[in-house]
Amino acid sequence: MNLDLIQLKALVIKEYREAFRDKRALMVALMMAILAPVGIMVMSKIMIEKLVDEPPVYVKFIGAEHAPKLIKHFAEKNLLDFADVPKDEKSTWEQRNIAIEIPEDYAADMAEGKPIKLHLQADFTDKAVQPPVRRINNAVRAFSLSIGYKRLLLRGVDIRLLNPVKLVEQDTAKPDATFMLISMMLGIYLMLAAFMSGLSVAIDSSAGERERNVLEMLLCQPVSTLKIVLAKLISASTVAVIGVLLILILTSVSVGFVDLTKIGATFSLDISTAAVLLLLLLPICFFASACQLFVAFQTKSFKEAQSTVGMLIGIPAFIPFVVSMMDDRPQWLNWLPIAGQSMIIENIFKGVDVDWLAVFATSAVTIAITVALVLALAKKLKSEKVVMALS
Amino acid sequence: MIEVNNLHKSFIDKKDKKNTVKALDGLSFTAKDGEITGILGPNGAGKTTCLRTLYGLLSADEGFATIDGISVTENPLAARAKLGIFPDKFGLYERLTAYEQIDYFASLHGMSGQTKKQAIEQVIQDLELGDLAHRKTVGFSQGQRMKVTLAQALVHQPQNFVLDEPTRGLDVMSTRILRNHLAKFKAKGHCILFSSHVMQEVAALCDRVIIVANGKLAAQGTPQELCELAGEQNLEEAFVKLIGSDEGVAA
Repeated sequence: MNLDLIQLKALVIKEYREAFRDKRALMVALMMAILAPVGIMVMSKIMIEKLVDEPPVYVKFIGAEHAPKLIKHFAEKNLLDFADVPKDEKSTWEQRNIAIEIPEDYAADMAEGKPIKLHLQADFTDKAVQPPVRRINNAVRAFSLSIGYKRLLLRGVDIRLLNPVKLVEQDTAKPDATFMLISMMLGIYLMLAAFMSGLSVAIDSSAGERERNVLEMLLCQPVSTLKIVLAKLISASTVAVIGVLLILILTSVSVGFVDLTKIGATFSLDISTAAVLLLLLLPICFFASACQLFVAFQTKSFKEAQSTVGMLIGIPAFIPFVVSMMDDRPQWLNWLPIAGQSMIIENIFKGVDVDWLAVFATSAVTIAITVALVLALAKKLKSEKVVMALS
Repeated sequence: MIEVNNLHKSFIDKKDKKNTVKALDGLSFTAKDGEITGILGPNGAGKTTCLRTLYGLLSADEGFATIDGISVTENPLAARAKLGIFPDKFGLYERLTAYEQIDYFASLHGMSGQTKKQAIEQVIQDLELGDLAHRKTVGFSQGQRMKVTLAQALVHQPQNFVLDEPTRGLDVMSTRILRNHLAKFKAKGHCILFSSHVMQEVAALCDRVIIVANGKLAAQGTPQELCELAGEQNLEEAFVKLIGSDEGVAA
């Protein structure tokens, strides 16, 4: 093995050892990752409940005794019998006067497989009646379909034959406010995680080492400052990548528990989407760690580093917000680190196809800036100023 | 061999030009192989600045420093590879064990595989660090920390060895171990440069003593020669006389 490799390997191993034995720093990274999906789940659950709140509808059933299963199905959809209406709502439902008539020979016809006619009576021009009527419609269709499917299944017919064409809706228009909030939150959160997760490791391995008097010893060794910076960058960004990866995994798992389709939002975080997000966020992780190291190395103490780098965290939270508020986005925003990525992430959540050119452009710019930061830092560590600040 | 030739170094305060500190003012000396050379000087005499220039951390305004003939300014990495350093302020990586830390510095000097392993085992044995080797360094006493720092400086068997006040905080036993170790190194033909405030130690250990004051060489010679030069019985009195004031000792 040649000297460069031996040195770099030793530097990286040492940084990893220090980083992964610092339980406090790792806790921060993991906390971020675990809080994200939980927060998103709770938020969307509350929103969905608000949006998809199906208030009870009271229907006058005629002949309910003939079709107990149908009535039960209605009740599950919050379509209830008029007999159970609470007193304060009685007059409104009396006025709306929605009635369903179930024929006497329902059970017999059902058994023989004959078509059954239910009669729905209501004033269809009344606006207040329209949503309940639509819900009754859907409920009957769903009930009918489920019986139909079962009949076909019994006869050995694949029920998918009934749906030769399926429409998958992807809304490219501006999504409604609530959904936008969720996806924007996740986007910002991912950016924040890229910046936050590696933060303590970056500060600890730069300002922390200076404060513990081990930096001077390291600078006296026959190893180039570029390797030192690279090793620290690798270890800090590894922790950042782990944080982002955890968020992506946990979110894609937890989103499965929330049915966003109820509010008309199509949100899915499948493996390919998560992979694209990761690809987008990888350069950001490196960029963030490089920024943090660059700033932290110039501060005089651990505390100063913490507060200064803390301000850096505002950037990833602030930029996507501003970008999403902008209606006319100038072209150059696409190229900027963070702004570029946040726009692409927004598009991914909207379901728009990924613009690979934009992905590569913004990644290239981000990596270029990272490389510039690393080289500048390596040069700075050679300067006397840094040495003078040692004591 | 360590050679320092006509070093000048000023620290300029950009805001106030009058506030310029002249840390080194034409310092020259040579530390030969097979000898222990002691640097003595009051606080602020320029010892640490001189050593930092030697490590290549600071660049001199004038003059040069070489280690085994390699210029520190022109080729700092090659020069440092010939150097074992025990710094003025030393810290440990507290989340690493002593062994891992020594291993780290050995690797930085390009050692690997079996050679590295043997070198680490050897230095641990020499410094009697066996019991501590696989403990994290976080709770180590001052003397134990000192030993680990020594081990990491010595593990690659450097031809030249620079120690900045190595015996502070060491108990008698540890000091003896260190002395024996330095004597062994000397016998093997290594060059040892040693700064200290403890006069007895310098007198007992050093072949040659360099006295630095105000960034200049004030006197040099064997401890005996210095005493004769100042006309004093012990090195402490000679030292005070040679630097021309007694304020340094009080500090």
